[in-house]
Amino acid sequence: MVKFVVRRLVQAIFVIIAASLLVFLGLFALGDPFASSGEKVVPPDVQAALRAKYGMDQSLPMQYLTYLGNIFTGDLGIDFRQRREVSEMLTAVLPNTLRLALAAILIDVIIGVLAGIIAAVWRYSFWDVFVTILTTLAIGIPTFVIGIFLLANVSGIWIFPVVPRSFTVEVPWYQEVLLPAFTLAIVDAAFIARLMRGSMLEVLRADYIRTARAKGLSERAVIGKHAFRNSIIPVVTYVGISIGVLLGGAIITETIFQYNGVGFLLFNSIRNNNQPVIMAIVVFGVIAYVVLSMIVDILYAFLDPRIRLS
Amino acid sequence: MSVGGGAPEVVPEQLLAPTQPPEAVAEPEGGAPTGDRVKRGQFRDIWRRYKRNKLALVGLGIVIVLAVIAIFEPILTPYDPKEQNLLNTQQPPSGEHWFGTDVLGRDLFSGILYGTRLAMIVSLSVVILALVVGITLGAIAGYRGKFIDTLVMRTTDIFLAFPFLIGAILVVRIFGDSVQAVIIALAILAWPTSARLMRGQVLALRESEYVEAARSIGASDTRIVLRHILPNAVAPVLIYAFTSIGVAVVAMASLAFLGIGVPADEPEWGRLIGQAIQVIQIPGKDYLWIFPALAISITTLGFAFVADGLRDSLDPKLR
Repeated sequence: MVKFVVRRLVQAIFVIIAASLLVFLGLFALGDPFASSGEKVVPPDVQAALRAKYGMDQSLPMQYLTYLGNIFTGDLGIDFRQRREVSEMLTAVLPNTLRLALAAILIDVIIGVLAGIIAAVWRYSFWDVFVTILTTLAIGIPTFVIGIFLLANVSGIWIFPVVPRSFTVEVPWYQEVLLPAFTLAIVDAAFIARLMRGSMLEVLRADYIRTARAKGLSERAVIGKHAFRNSIIPVVTYVGISIGVLLGGAIITETIFQYNGVGFLLFNSIRNNNQPVIMAIVVFGVIAYVVLSMIVDILYAFLDPRIRLS
Repeated sequence: MSVGGGAPEVVPEQLLAPTQPPEAVAEPEGGAPTGDRVKRGQFRDIWRRYKRNKLALVGLGIVIVLAVIAIFEPILTPYDPKEQNLLNTQQPPSGEHWFGTDVLGRDLFSGILYGTRLAMIVSLSVVILALVVGITLGAIAGYRGKFIDTLVMRTTDIFLAFPFLIGAILVVRIFGDSVQAVIIALAILAWPTSARLMRGQVLALRESEYVEAARSIGASDTRIVLRHILPNAVAPVLIYAFTSIGVAVVAMASLAFLGIGVPADEPEWGRLIGQAIQVIQIPGKDYLWIFPALAISITTLGFAFVADGLRDSLDPKLR
């Protein structure tokens, strides 16, 4: 087990470092952020001064190593536009994205697991067909179409705040999070429902379920206790990875609803070619994904001894 | 291929997971007539199973219609899809403009048809590129194993760690906004999944008895991979390809919606929605986003239905 964890950890660190190098090279390939472009003319001496200020006059490997070193001290650099600390910008929007991710996960787990259980237990019933149709639609229709639909028809009504939001109107976070969370949750709920249905059906065929029924347990106990525990494992995996993805910023959903999270910040930074912020967010997204999938792997090995052996 | 915010944010690997290879069809080598008959029977079997799935038939219909639109788009469009007329913007649907005109005064119906062609070209190119690279690397990694396997798999790890859309945005920004940049970006982000799929297939088939038999009669590695392993790995790859086309369509639309990738004057589906977003909350302007949104949704659903149908018909064991 220890060996497995260590191997997984080394792999995660390797992926993070390699990915950060890729992003770094990618940003370099984007071009000089201080060059004159269009009508904006930047005098050469100003360009040189800016480059020196941001350490961009040094060689590329040197810049990367410095950046890597600074990450460990929590220094993510200063943004090009307003000279703010990137780490502060990130921590300012991170709680919003965290709330959005957790709200979306909460919604999709509740809907997905319930729908999956119902579909599996009453297989081929009306509800099973209903769930199948709904999940097919939810997976087939792109998230951003769902987002646009909610934006066009639901925002501004009842408890759902108007988008784009006005800075004179105070909206509590739990109202603001609703529509983007629903938008994100619909696809995931459909995937979870399918996973849950599939694994539940498989578990229900197992011998120990027959044993449980044979010894006279109520159907409720059989499903709720015995079958549920073993069939939820794939869902746990899915949810873990999903959190990792959502933390990296749901760029489309957050942009549609102008939700002040990591994804929206990334969108704005990409527009402005604000490289330090792009770098920080993309690397953060990679770390979030890698760390969570590592945790999921370890958790999985912990929950299911069969995996540890291989 | 899941797309931050856009296409399904995560496509769980379980759902794309390598499916079991179909039973190795005993196809006597050199015996062309027998082999032919076996093949024809096989296709008839597949079609018979495919027909049973009504949604798959609907999907096939959609895909055919999309293909026809994509091929004959220049003849079908009543107006020049790119011609702007700022004196005639946001006209509601009428006999003259079936879907109305968009925020730039272009005929929306022509724009949607043009967008179909664009979506088909881009998604097909992406899938073909990703499959060629992915299958080659995956097959080599799976068959050779050892160092090459580690190298390819760790590389896919790195690529898969990137949020799909965000990675694609970075690549597009490097190449500059153009249709080609979108194709390259999506293919770069998509190949690792097909490489893993192929590797899993090859790993499973490599140890099978019929491959061992081929090896024992002295078939070369290239021959074993091309003649014996690839044909049996076709089913999951084909299913994956159809799924990926839908994902690529959504990814391109998502990028364009954010104003990245396809140039602004192209009537691309995501662009059309993005350009309409300022006015879509005004009552009566729904048609500005509903038509492109419908086009995207019908396309993705159509390809998903076909993929589902293929999953059932190519490999009955999976049911």
